[in-house]
Amino acid sequence: MYGGRDCFIDKWDELIRIFSKDIRNILRYLPMDFEQMQEIRMRVQGPFLMIHNNQEFFITPEGKLSKKREDAFWVSQKDLKETLEYISDYSLYAFEEEIRQGFITIQGGHRIGLAGKAVTDRDKIRSMKYISFINIRLSHQIRGCGNKVMPYLYEHGEVFHTLIVSPPRCGKTTLLRDVIRQISDGTEKVPGMTVGVVDERSEIGACYQGIPQNDLGIRTDILDCCPKAVGMMMLIRTMSPQVIAVDEIGSREDLNAIEYVMNCGCRLIATVHGSSLEDIRSKPVFGRLLQDRVFGRYVVLKNQGRPGTVEDIYDSQGRSLL
Amino acid sequence: MMVSLFMKITGCVLIISGSSGYGFWMVSNYKERLLLLEQLRQMIFLLKGQILYANATLLEAFDVVGRRTEGSLSELFLQVAERMERQQGEPFCQIWKEETKKFAGVGLMTKADRQSLESLGEHLGFLDKEMQEKNLLLYLEQLDMTIEEMRSCQKERCRLYGSLGVMGGLFLAVLLV
Repeated sequence: MYGGRDCFIDKWDELIRIFSKDIRNILRYLPMDFEQMQEIRMRVQGPFLMIHNNQEFFITPEGKLSKKREDAFWVSQKDLKETLEYISDYSLYAFEEEIRQGFITIQGGHRIGLAGKAVTDRDKIRSMKYISFINIRLSHQIRGCGNKVMPYLYEHGEVFHTLIVSPPRCGKTTLLRDVIRQISDGTEKVPGMTVGVVDERSEIGACYQGIPQNDLGIRTDILDCCPKAVGMMMLIRTMSPQVIAVDEIGSREDLNAIEYVMNCGCRLIATVHGSSLEDIRSKPVFGRLLQDRVFGRYVVLKNQGRPGTVEDIYDSQGRSLL
Repeated sequence: MMVSLFMKITGCVLIISGSSGYGFWMVSNYKERLLLLEQLRQMIFLLKGQILYANATLLEAFDVVGRRTEGSLSELFLQVAERMERQQGEPFCQIWKEETKKFAGVGLMTKADRQSLESLGEHLGFLDKEMQEKNLLLYLEQLDMTIEEMRSCQKERCRLYGSLGVMGGLFLAVLLV
């Protein structure tokens, strides 16, 4: 386990502070390995759940794990309301935009998904009220999870434009984080490069008050909470990065910015939701990028084994390299 | 006889100086209260700026404003930020209420000042930014009115407290001697 027992206690203690007082008492002595924890789910008048090592468990009022539903602690409205207060540092107003998008990223880079009653203005979500469902997705930095991929990303000391393709919960952000760190720090064979990260949801660097909580390397500049398209252009103009990294691209604006990045001589490392290269090809926005062979490498992750498990790596023409 | 006269004179001097001292203490308190409220107004302005323009959470906003200023109000803001950071499972209004009660400058405030400062905490953090702005503006308005009133009465009040102290002392001395 990375970081050892003390690190686990620190991270766990830091995380449980976001929960209501009653839930903290339950979670405090939970016999778990933090690195294997993936999700914690709270639903008003629903059982308290945890996904650990790809398995679902009910959390009991005594702070134990059970497979039986009747053993579960049932989450009350008060618990959820209190938890929301702590998640937002008593300042839900400061997360209006995040709530509109349905999630808040907290210290440590953990992503809190929210659902409730959406307040709409024509076809746009203006806000959300009666938030009754919370999904806490735990962020883990796994150093070295990109080791297998790294040799395929370089050619003559240059980094390929790379697209990491992965279904949800397969570790694409974790892999991206490690790739950024390794490119930034460099290795014995390849010198480190200046990397600019546009961290729209604070998941990559997990910046807290401007300071990254995850190690992204010594030559990395992070533009936190900035929309990707705007951020990529801004970084190029201001920080002259050699490599730009972004998570979960998908909109047309993102693609325009990608073209801008590539035309500026920067290298791009990006991730996208998808299960295979064909899946990506079928998406109208990405189809053209694949057709034009814009990316030099495609890393496809699979939903098996530990997060960040590579299924295959392809070159620009879609030929498998593994 | 001489001893008795000496005692009377000493008594008179003590009464007059004590009473005058109280009068001047009241004057100084009045001025300090005015300064405190003016500083509070400035800090609430900064807090509003942090919340509205820097999109800061209450924790960040109190911390930043507390660090930028000095004095007992700065300590109050920093203490509130620290307790929020510890997240020991208390609602914000409770933290604010408890800290304002412990606040060193509370002795300079009137009951009404204390009540409106305490009630500020009951409305912060809820709903959207617009609501935060309205709450802060409402409190600023109250502060402005108090400050205006104090400023307009400052001269006559200070003169009144000072002269009442001295005259009261003289009166008491005459009465008792």
